[in-house]
Formats: sequence, C-alpha cells, structure tokens
Amino acid sequence: MKLAFYPGCSLEGMANDYSQSITAVFRNLDIELVEIEDWSCCGATAAHSLSELMAVTLPARNLAQAEKMGMDIVSPCANCYNRLRASQIMIQKRIFDVPWKITGKIEVHDMTRFLADPDMLERIMTRVRKPLEGLKVVCYYGCQMVRPPRITGYTDYENPQTLDRIVAAVGAKALDWSYKTTCCGASIGIGRRDIQESLTARLLDKARQANAEAVVTSCPLCQANLDILQRNETESTIPVFYFTELLRLAFEPGRASRKWFRMHITDPVPLLRIKELLR
Amino acid sequence: MIAMAKIFDEADEILLLNQDTEDKAREIIGDRGNHFLKRIEGETAANISACYQCHRCTNACPVSHYMDVKPHQVIRYIQFGWREKLLKSSTIWVCLSCEMCTTFCPNEVQVAETIIHLRNMAAHSSVAPREKQVALFHQAFLESLQYFGRVNEFWLMVALHLKPIVLKEKIQTGTLTEEMALGFRLFRKGKLKLIPRRCKAMGEIRKLYRQERGEMD
Ligand code: SF4
Ligand code: SF4
Repeated sequence: MKLAFYPGCSLEGMANDYSQSITAVFRNLDIELVEIEDWSCCGATAAHSLSELMAVTLPARNLAQAEKMGMDIVSPCANCYNRLRASQIMIQKRIFDVPWKITGKIEVHDMTRFLADPDMLERIMTRVRKPLEGLKVVCYYGCQMVRPPRITGYTDYENPQTLDRIVAAVGAKALDWSYKTTCCGASIGIGRRDIQESLTARLLDKARQANAEAVVTSCPLCQANLDILQRNETESTIPVFYFTELLRLAFEPGRASRKWFRMHITDPVPLLRIKELLR
Repeated sequence: MIAMAKIFDEADEILLLNQDTEDKAREIIGDRGNHFLKRIEGETAANISACYQCHRCTNACPVSHYMDVKPHQVIRYIQFGWREKLLKSSTIWVCLSCEMCTTFCPNEVQVAETIIHLRNMAAHSSVAPREKQVALFHQAFLESLQYFGRVNEFWLMVALHLKPIVLKEKIQTGTLTEEMALGFRLFRKGKLKLIPRRCKAMGEIRKLYRQERGEMD
C-alpha cells in the first residue's frame, strides 16, 4: 500500500519526534509513505485569518502535487488535514478556481482515522509484541481534526473514538473524559498568553481528574501546548505522547527511541519506567 | 431611542458610555438597512438571518469570557449592520476557529466562518486591530511563508519579535526574557531547527501573493 504523505511544517521542526515515530510505525505496518514532492505550507490559521484566497490556494498546490502522484493523501497534522479538506471542498464546489488542475478525486485522510479503520486495527494488533498493559491514558483530539463535521466528515464529533481504538489496540487503557475535543488554545498564546494558559490548564486538570497517567494526541500544536505549559508546581506533571510513539513502544519494545522522549519538555521516561515499558 | 436601546442590553452599555447621541442613533437603527447583512450572507453563505438568539454558540465557545462582543451578539450586530463595532471588537481576533459555535448552532448559522470573514474584512480595512499581537502573528506567518514556502518556527518567532510593536510590548511587560528562555529550552531539546527548509517552487507561491494583492501578470 502506498500513500502520499503530507508532513506539514511542524513535523520538520517542533514535532520532529512525531515525524520520526510515524516513519518507524508505518515501516512496521508495511505501508509506504511517499512524501509529496516539494510540498508547501497549507497556510494554517494565518492564511484563513487574513485572506480567503490564500486559505484555499495554498493547500490546493499540495492537492495538485498529490494528484500528479496519483495517491491518496494522509496527513498527520490536524490543522493541515482540515485546511486540505476545506480547500478541496471549495474547489469541488467551484467556489474558487486555482492555477492547478485539481479533480478532487483523491482522498485526504487524517492519519488517526486511517489507522482506526477495522482492517488497519487488525494489522496493528498483529504487530504488537509488548502490549502497553496498565497504562491509563486519555485521548485528546482537539478541534481541527473533528470540526466542523461537514469538512472533516466525522459523525461522532462530540465523542470521537479513533485514537481511543488505536490506543486500545496496543493494550493501553483509554479512559473516558469530557474534554476530548475542547480547544487547547492553538496559537493564541503568542498574542494572549493568559487565554492560552487558562485553556491548557483546564485540559490538564481534567485529565488528572480522570486519573489519566498520560495524554495521547495526534496534533503537533496540541502536543506542544499541553507539553510545554505544565507550569503548575503543586500538581504532578503529566506526559503528552503522540499516538505513534505509543504504537512504536508496543511494536518494538526496547527499541523505541529514547531520542523522541528526550524531545518532550515533560519527561515521559519515569512513567514508562514505572510501567516497565522502557528500561 | 433610549427605550429601544434597553432591549439590546449589553450592547448599548458600551454605546451609552462611548458614543455621542448621533452615533448612537445611527448604530441602533443601522443606517445601512439590510446592506451589511446581505453582503455578509452573500460572501460567507452563512444563514445569518436564521439566528434566533438562543446563545448556544456563546455557551459552547471556550473563550467567550475574553470577548467583548459575544458570538451570538456578533450575529445580531450583523443583522443591525454595525460594521465598525464588529471590526473594532476583540472577538474577531480572540476567536480560535475551534468551530464549536458552528457545530452546535441549531440553525446551522456558520458563526465561526462569519467571525473569520469579519477578521478578513478587518485585516483589509483601516480599522486598527484590537488584538495587535495576534494580528501581527498572523501577518508574520504569511510573510515568512512568502520567503520559504514553508514555515520554520524559529524564523517565524524571530520575524515576529523583530516587529517594533511586538518587541516594545514584550520588553515593557517583561515577557521577552521569559520567552527567550523558553526558546533556548526548546532549542536544547532539539525542537527548533535553525536552518529553514525551502520549497523549490517559490515562483508559484509568490504568484499567489501577487494575485492576492490584485497584481496581474
Ligand atoms: S447558536 Fe445559532 S441560533 Fe443560537 S444564537 Fe448562536 S448563531 Fe444564533
Ligand atoms: S470558533 Fe471562535 S467563536 Fe466559535 S466557539 Fe470557537 S472560539 Fe468561540
């Protein structure tokens, strides 16, 4: 199986650990990811804040590149996924025309939903060599992956299950909580730190209240916010994993790279040691 | 006039305090008639007239507490034609595009898309943005995209902090050292890449920027 991979800008920088764990996990799953040739930024929130034209045309270039390759796109970043889908829909409806040829025939997958497909889950389960037993996590989806449903195609947008299923497939316990899709504040912290901190702190509090030992997410920006802004000295810290890091831990016990965990601000190694998932 | 204003409770408090009578009258009646409403409805395809002020959007919004004009009021103001008040509001910059409002509106009013559209309008108007720092961040993002075709977090932050307004405020509030410390920490963790990766087809991307500015070639 071959897929066009659209990494997005943060996977080259802040989320390099995510990027490396994705490569490792997809190798384990025998799925070939071909990076979209000479991809460019999707424009993220900035483009659609300042110019609708840019918001549609910037992602469209990547859609066109992938169509040239003739493969479906898979996107690991929630915001990229949202922007690519939104752009594709606008072009399909002929609301915008773009300087590239786009038929809109290829599909844009978000990575978690792609892997939460029943066939894929089975494939994941066959690869597990050390189930992550006893690890209690809450899955955090954020906004852009699930909302608005008319763009993302999620039907269970109030209580999405994709990450929960994936995490359960590798043996960890996904706890129920009510803040799966509550916004983490995205990039508002750069201009308004107070808003950012209040939103992030609430999520972390609720995760603790649910008795979670870790948060699992798939969005680079959510991970960064939750990981970096654990300021509260009185509370215990709570590691924030990318779901692919957990998959790799289950697939290749002992060989899961310490390098990724060293990139986390909130150190996850003590927890993994207690759970005997890492030596 | 004042009796009428009482009906639109929160709104007119600001009005009574800040505006002289003439302005007040104009804004309450909305001298554009339906023009502004029609324009926004046409441009966003959002069904703004369908709103029955149930406040569900505001209740769903995680940051309504920080907004001067709440999401349901945004919709109402558009019906009134209060353009300036909306473009001047902090709401349009504070909104996170989290789409809670749109998703849970019983009448499928596209609240989030409407707010973003107003932000677009404000960015292309002479009205100074209420949340300058947020606005400048978006601007810095698009600027750095123009140079590399991709966005490198390190250079984005450098470009942002080189903007005089941002720098001045960060120095005044003393957050600059804090942020530099965080930056250094991220760098030590290997999270910041100093050498930006560049997209090769910059020609195509610059062309989009020229198109955005209305230049033909
Ligand atoms: S949820 Fe919809 S109908 Fe209710 S106030 Fe908001 S926009 Fe109006
Ligand atoms: S999109 Fe904006 S207005 Fe709507 S709920 Fe989110 S933050 Fe609030």
